[in-house]
Amino acid sequence: MSDIVHDDLTESADDHDSHGHHESTGVDNRKLGMWFFLSSEFLFFGTLITNYLLFKGRDFGPGSIYPVEFYDIPFTSISSFVLLMSSLTMVLAHAALVRGDQNQTRTWLAATGMLGLVFVSGQFFEFTEFVNEGLKLTTNPAASAFFLLTGFHGIHVVVGVVLLLSLWGKSVRQPGGLSPEQGLSVELVGLYWHFVDIIWIVIFVVVYLIQ
Amino acid sequence: MSQAVEVHHPKPKDYIRIAVVLGILTGFEIALFYLESAVGDDLPGWVFPVALLSLSAIKFLMVVAYFMHLRYEKPMLSRVFSIGAVLALSLFLILLAISGQIVVFG
Amino acid sequence: MATIAPQKIATVFRRPEATTGFWSWITTVDHKKIAVMYGYTAFGFFIVGGIEALLLRIQLAGPDGTFLTAAQYNGLFTTHAVTMIFLFVMPMASAFFNYLLPLMLGARDVAFPRMNAVSYWIFLFGGIFIYSSLFFATNPAPLGGNLPGGALDASPLGSIPNGGWFLYAPNSGTQFSPGTSIDYAALGLQILGIASLISAVNFIVTIFNMRTKGMRLLRMPVFVWMTLIVAFLLLFSLPIIAIALFMLTADRQFGSVFFVASSGGDPILWQNLFWLFGHPEVYILILPAMGMVSEVLPVFSRKPLFGYPAIVFAGGAIAFLGFGVWAHHMFSSDIPTVAQAAFGLSTMTIAIPTGIKIFNWIATIWGGRIRLKTPMLFSLGFVALFVIGGLSGVTHAIVPSDWQQTDTYYIVAHFHYVLFGGAVFGLFSGLYYWFPKLTGRMYNERLGQVHFGLMFLGTNLTFGPMHWLGLQGMVRRTWVYSADTGLGPWNMVVSIGAFIIALSIFVFMVNWTWSKRKGEIAPNDPWDARTLEWTIPSPTPEYNFGVEPTVTALDDFWHQKYDEDDEGRAVRRPEADELVDRLIEANGNPTTEIHLPAPSYFPIIAGFGMMLLAYGIIYHTRPWGIPLIVVGILMLISSLLGWGGEPLEEVHEEHLDGQGDSDHDPGSLDPNQESTPRELAGVED
Repeated sequence: MSDIVHDDLTESADDHDSHGHHESTGVDNRKLGMWFFLSSEFLFFGTLITNYLLFKGRDFGPGSIYPVEFYDIPFTSISSFVLLMSSLTMVLAHAALVRGDQNQTRTWLAATGMLGLVFVSGQFFEFTEFVNEGLKLTTNPAASAFFLLTGFHGIHVVVGVVLLLSLWGKSVRQPGGLSPEQGLSVELVGLYWHFVDIIWIVIFVVVYLIQ
Repeated sequence: MSQAVEVHHPKPKDYIRIAVVLGILTGFEIALFYLESAVGDDLPGWVFPVALLSLSAIKFLMVVAYFMHLRYEKPMLSRVFSIGAVLALSLFLILLAISGQIVVFG
Repeated sequence: MATIAPQKIATVFRRPEATTGFWSWITTVDHKKIAVMYGYTAFGFFIVGGIEALLLRIQLAGPDGTFLTAAQYNGLFTTHAVTMIFLFVMPMASAFFNYLLPLMLGARDVAFPRMNAVSYWIFLFGGIFIYSSLFFATNPAPLGGNLPGGALDASPLGSIPNGGWFLYAPNSGTQFSPGTSIDYAALGLQILGIASLISAVNFIVTIFNMRTKGMRLLRMPVFVWMTLIVAFLLLFSLPIIAIALFMLTADRQFGSVFFVASSGGDPILWQNLFWLFGHPEVYILILPAMGMVSEVLPVFSRKPLFGYPAIVFAGGAIAFLGFGVWAHHMFSSDIPTVAQAAFGLSTMTIAIPTGIKIFNWIATIWGGRIRLKTPMLFSLGFVALFVIGGLSGVTHAIVPSDWQQTDTYYIVAHFHYVLFGGAVFGLFSGLYYWFPKLTGRMYNERLGQVHFGLMFLGTNLTFGPMHWLGLQGMVRRTWVYSADTGLGPWNMVVSIGAFIIALSIFVFMVNWTWSKRKGEIAPNDPWDARTLEWTIPSPTPEYNFGVEPTVTALDDFWHQKYDEDDEGRAVRRPEADELVDRLIEANGNPTTEIHLPAPSYFPIIAGFGMMLLAYGIIYHTRPWGIPLIVVGILMLISSLLGWGGEPLEEVHEEHLDGQGDSDHDPGSLDPNQESTPRELAGVED
């Protein structure tokens, strides 16, 4: 099998690829699937963001309140920064694994998960504050849209944290650290994680900073 | 395939450099936000949104290109990723337009 | 001897072992078995949806019908649509995708066999979930409502979802639909959407990555191309409806106000989001049938497909344009005039690629030596009926004309011509065409032709008169009409037509069940076909191809059998028969070890967990609601993590030479082997 693989490496993909065991495009199945999934996530978050933009400035009658009035930009800036830096730790974890440095991989994976948790806690805190100050899911469509958008982003972060922690757990439990197979998982979780980050890069500007 | 590509991958030092740039750009964004509340009235309304969106686009592209390694992958993956991005952008701009959120049809 | 996972991860379950019988189906990850399960499940729902249609037609057969109450009628037209679209046409197409993609591409299985099984189980439980509304849901009358029919809850069938498949706001909000039936529809569609999204990713990766030697993109059969396009449509339209359905569920369950006009919400936004998904969905339904017809027509005309690249690119163009026409479903809503004109124009442009396809099909038949076997008849029926439906579709693109037609039976006539006359005829064409591949036997040709004749007659009797009924002003979704409208006679014709269709389906079922057991044994290449799936024995062996095929041209198999004479006509090579027998003999007797993906319990657990989660959301205010959500999520997570620890493949034949064993072991961690992760086994989740 490895012979076939090595033959494959020297040939261009589309024409000379071998049987289904090997990828006709030269990109691993799981990785290709992940990229397609992330591509479709643009539509997912696109709908959510559009939804917010449609409602954010509408007139809901006398006394209507808007999420903008509740934003705490310094606070959100810090949590944005935290998420941004978690992308760095994620990429460092992957780079360490490529080098074969299992210890560093473990550290950076844990760090990424922790930063993710910090971000989610920040969001939880923000939500609690908003609700206490009188902005709820039920207040008006703008509020509903804000909570749905940031809430779904938060759920994505939580899923990412779960994936990161399960990888971290494996790397701790297994004597030799992560196997090459799981190395691919690190790469895939990384892609997902960075994607969640770039969506926040957009949200931070479009929802929070442009008022 | 992959190994040949892997050679060009940035080193951790490069990643840290990129992260610093990303941090600085975020700083610019926040500065722009406060600048707008200070002097926003003196400038045309589009200046700050356009500046902020550009900064965010740069950050977006940097993360995609370097952290997600898209620069070093087969061009096919870039195409895959752009389909979703471009489709989402165009569909939702049309939707905002026909809902009267962006004034296109006078 | 089977492969060993990199490390043993303790699982609650013993690894499944059965290869036949009940448990083999529950745990299977074989694309062919999954396809069969999709097929039978979808057909079961087709019968259910058909019975619903017959009930509706009994009610409408004469003026002032009393067979159904208004409430029952609302529920039945809703579930009829949901069933036919999401539980029949889409999964039936999925059955074909599953069965044929690997065979047409020359692959062992799809790219992610276990995810494939997950898709099926999620789909099945989604369907069960929607129909469980029959027993669990409620439909109390809205406050201040005065619908004749009275208390909606008491009657049988009174508790099924009744908001139309489009679930338009504000009717789907709690004010006008206070019960739980709409929640069943919204969450059920959500579940089905997740299943489709998973299979979309799976099919796309399969098509891009699992092609055999020499199978360039432009050598793939048109059916594979159409599958690819459908998968793209699913991938990019489902996230939109997912959010819309989340918004609806949040409105109904958690008090958000997206579509509640009295709180500043926007019901038109629902229409936009729904049709942003809903129009691509239309092409999701029709493109698989177009793919099948493009396979059947050339085979039974004994000519190559005319304009292969044009058909492929036209399919892509239809899909691309399909995203930009959604507002033509909303011409009677409040959207700007310029937007109406723009969407009218964009809708008309879709006629161009569609026309290209139709001309190519006609040119394919033209001058061919046509064999009028059942699959061919259905394909020809498809072309004829689809043209009628397509033309009436163009009339909706003209805005003032659409204003007249909107919400009348003219629209009903239009979309049944494209969906029933189109998609369903295409699906039956495929069912007959690939019947020998699936069963190894031939169906009864005579019964097949009777089926076609009855169904063609029934279709035109049912949906033809709806055109003029609609133009006379008969409105959709209304359970009675009075005698003085004069609509009675044609409605009777329509109802008779519906029962003729039902009779034709009965003939089909008899044919299928009988032929499956007693039909003639199918010859090696029964249709003198052109694609790879006919180069292997029928029924397909578990491992698909004994010998990895190599492809050098479009319709490679056909080119091996046929040569061209001086005038460009196809001439069968003298050695063709022998070649076919040799190929099939070789593919039936593999000489090397074959890895097959291992069966797994986890897909069904994941699907079941998804259903529990949905129940939990509906009943989250009850004491057992939250625990249900927790259990559902735990089942999902544990099955996902669980299958991460399962071995990927098992070896098909056990007593082949042991040499190279470790090389065949995808989990082996030989330190000398410089393998990066992506060089490991291609079949994986």
